[in-house]
Amino acid sequence: MEKIDTNVKKVIDKIKKMYGNSPDVNSRIINISGTNVGCLFLESSSQASTISDFIIKGTLYTSSNKNLFQNIFEALKNNLFNSQLFTINDFSQFPYFLSSGFTIIIVDGSSEAIIMETRAALDRGVTESTSEPILRGPKDSFTESHSKNLGLIRKRIKDPNLWFDELKLGKRTQTRISLAYINGVADPKKLKTVKQRLQKINIDGILDSGNLREYLIEEKSVFPQIQSSERPDVVSQALLNGKIVIFVENCPFTLILPTVFIDYLHTSEDQYQKSSNITFTRILRIFALIITVFTPAIYIAITTFDQNTIPDKLLISLAIQREGVPFPTTFEIILLTTIFEILRESDLRSPSSMSAAMSIVGALVLGQAAVDAGIVSPITVIVVAFTSICSLVFTDIDFMNGIRTWRFIFILAASILGIIGILSFTIIWLVKLASLENLQTSFLSPFAPFSKQAQNDAIIKASEPNIITRPSYISKLNPHRQRRSK
Amino acid sequence: MKKTLLILIAFIFTISLTGCGGYEELNNLSIVTAVAFDKQDDNYELSFLIANSPKAQTSSKEGEAKTTVYSSQGKTIAEAAKTIEQIVPKQIYLGHINVVIISEDIAKEGFLNIADWLLRNPQTRKKFYLMQAKNEKAKNILKIVSPLESFPSQSIATLIESNSETKSIATSITYSNFISQILEPGYDPVLPSITIKGNVQKGSNEKNLETTEPDSYLVLGPLAIYKSDKLIGFASEKESWAINVLKNEAKEVNYNLKYQNEDISIETHSLKSSIKIKDSNNIEITISGQGDIYNITSPVDIQNYKEIHKIEKAWQKSLTKDLSKVIKKFQTKYHSDIFGFGNLIYKKDPKTWNKLKKDWNSKYFPNLNIKIKTNLKIEATGSLVKTIKEAKS
Repeated sequence: MEKIDTNVKKVIDKIKKMYGNSPDVNSRIINISGTNVGCLFLESSSQASTISDFIIKGTLYTSSNKNLFQNIFEALKNNLFNSQLFTINDFSQFPYFLSSGFTIIIVDGSSEAIIMETRAALDRGVTESTSEPILRGPKDSFTESHSKNLGLIRKRIKDPNLWFDELKLGKRTQTRISLAYINGVADPKKLKTVKQRLQKINIDGILDSGNLREYLIEEKSVFPQIQSSERPDVVSQALLNGKIVIFVENCPFTLILPTVFIDYLHTSEDQYQKSSNITFTRILRIFALIITVFTPAIYIAITTFDQNTIPDKLLISLAIQREGVPFPTTFEIILLTTIFEILRESDLRSPSSMSAAMSIVGALVLGQAAVDAGIVSPITVIVVAFTSICSLVFTDIDFMNGIRTWRFIFILAASILGIIGILSFTIIWLVKLASLENLQTSFLSPFAPFSKQAQNDAIIKASEPNIITRPSYISKLNPHRQRRSK
Repeated sequence: MKKTLLILIAFIFTISLTGCGGYEELNNLSIVTAVAFDKQDDNYELSFLIANSPKAQTSSKEGEAKTTVYSSQGKTIAEAAKTIEQIVPKQIYLGHINVVIISEDIAKEGFLNIADWLLRNPQTRKKFYLMQAKNEKAKNILKIVSPLESFPSQSIATLIESNSETKSIATSITYSNFISQILEPGYDPVLPSITIKGNVQKGSNEKNLETTEPDSYLVLGPLAIYKSDKLIGFASEKESWAINVLKNEAKEVNYNLKYQNEDISIETHSLKSSIKIKDSNNIEITISGQGDIYNITSPVDIQNYKEIHKIEKAWQKSLTKDLSKVIKKFQTKYHSDIFGFGNLIYKKDPKTWNKLKKDWNSKYFPNLNIKIKTNLKIEATGSLVKTIKEAKS
């Protein structure tokens, strides 16, 4: 703790020096019958009109009221118009408040300072979610404003038991991190572990919730073990289920803990559509998962090792298609898959005005020209296209990338060992997935370990009135989410 | 560390001990879909039909023949196969054989002489159809291109499949079936035969595909009769039909009944035969099933139940006569127990069979007392009430 100098001019000079005389450090000194009152703010992060309207005006008004001359500090504290007004006596906190858009009022001879909120609205409004689009359900999404994000949740869960625990992380960024949970539903043990892990972080800056992810997991894996969402309804549902949600200032993406594998096969829409149809959709998603992981590998395995498994006519048509292709099947598949991944990446990064041109080139080069030139066989294009389409079923980019890694592993296994390779690596894959654990929750819950109680919303979705309890692997506290009506 | 090492060792063993190696790109394979065995002087002639010849790539547009037949000779089948490998530039792949055709020469000499090579080869599936070439070299049958199927072996396979249940002069017999029939005691096998109608030279030309009426095409022939593994003759079409009925292989057959000097065509369905062994000398065969009248020209009142009953009686009598005639012929002429009566005796009473088996074909089989019982019903008479002739008069 550092004391605040009682001389206003000295304090202002000190601050200006601290910021390297940056032009956005503004100050205004008002003299009230010999006593200097200083207003200090950063032009860049605060709203100038608020400062003029409420602080300067208020100060001048106070100065005109002669009764208050005795104690200018107290008078200002009591007469300024602002919902957020408090005093501090620690100089070292000044930069945090200044950078956050607060205005600091210091008075000659006083060792305390008045802090007032005059933040500029440096964020966009609440807009439609772009990364998790849905057809039916609320369309709003989080923004970069921390308080707006918390507000979007408060708006949905009005229970005062919705608690936010706040801590600041990042030596330089001083980012606000809020842990949201419902007191009495969330598992306190898990909460304590998450908090401890966050407190251990000592880093210069946290800019996005993605920075935190790797501090919060126990075992390494290509699969993300923490779900991330920008939808308030997904987060609210998670909170109601007893999960813990981490909000990071200036970041629209929240982290949801604990996350299990099956969560990536669910969407928020599953809650809003008819449950019997959702069961079918989920089975489709599982098929898509299997297809996107295994198809290229199985294609390689059966065409280069186990031709016996292909029906006669198909085998002959495949053999004829491959006639004249100069590369081995494995190379062909890897080539096309890589081209597709590059195309996806470039499509993601390029401005939207270029994407039309790129998709034409991509479709022509990949689909038509490569086949006509005899570099790849048509069936390979079909296999890769099918695989890629199936991988787009999942919205989480980290999950998609995890699948991609395993797809390549299976391609290599199949090209060396055929079906045996796929089989043995499937076993390794399952073992790896089953051994993942975070916050005492196994990644393959509720299948391994099997929990009968949680099956009603895993693959099969029971009708809403029949889902009485929350999944027990998340939290065992307060297990009932609804009472059966009589 | 120790655990990782153990896993690694276990993994290396699993992959190295499976014995499933053999990486082979598809375009390096010559996919053999049909095989023909012939005899040329003292040598065996082996022919492969290769389905994925590169010229097939443009075939869909230009109607070219898509297949190539390679053949070579050798003292043994294996030797001939080795020689073919020297001719064919790609790796020969036998995993997708559809049809195997054997010539009459080889069949007369004994099938088991050549059976070993295909059965021993680990690549082959053993589920392909086996056929007897009739009046024609087996190799020539592979050459005939069919306008309806993309390659000859496919056309042969579909020909058998579509015919064996309905027309019932053919029967579908797979390679492994045939060999097990030879090996089983008290059983002589039959084979469907195939022959060419028309000119072989023209039929193997791609021009055969362009004409509306093909110059030559493949025809299923009557059954080839075997005694043990040797061909002893061909049955007639009517006999083939009867054999299939007796062997319970014909389900839907057409029967022409002479009734009051007019033809009645009866389409039977769910025709069943069951053979019952009374003792080693008496056998009873029961034929049961239903039929619909399909075609009738005689002025019979088919609405009358009694009349239908009479037709049924006549049908039963006529069928019994036909079948007994065929059985008699096999007992006296061929001495070949293709119905497997001996096998049934063996299954029922192995001890008696041991006494009989030595002279079964020469002594006991010809003297078997076979009784045929029939249980046939006419179920429907079609959409017409009267015959058309009747309606006119």
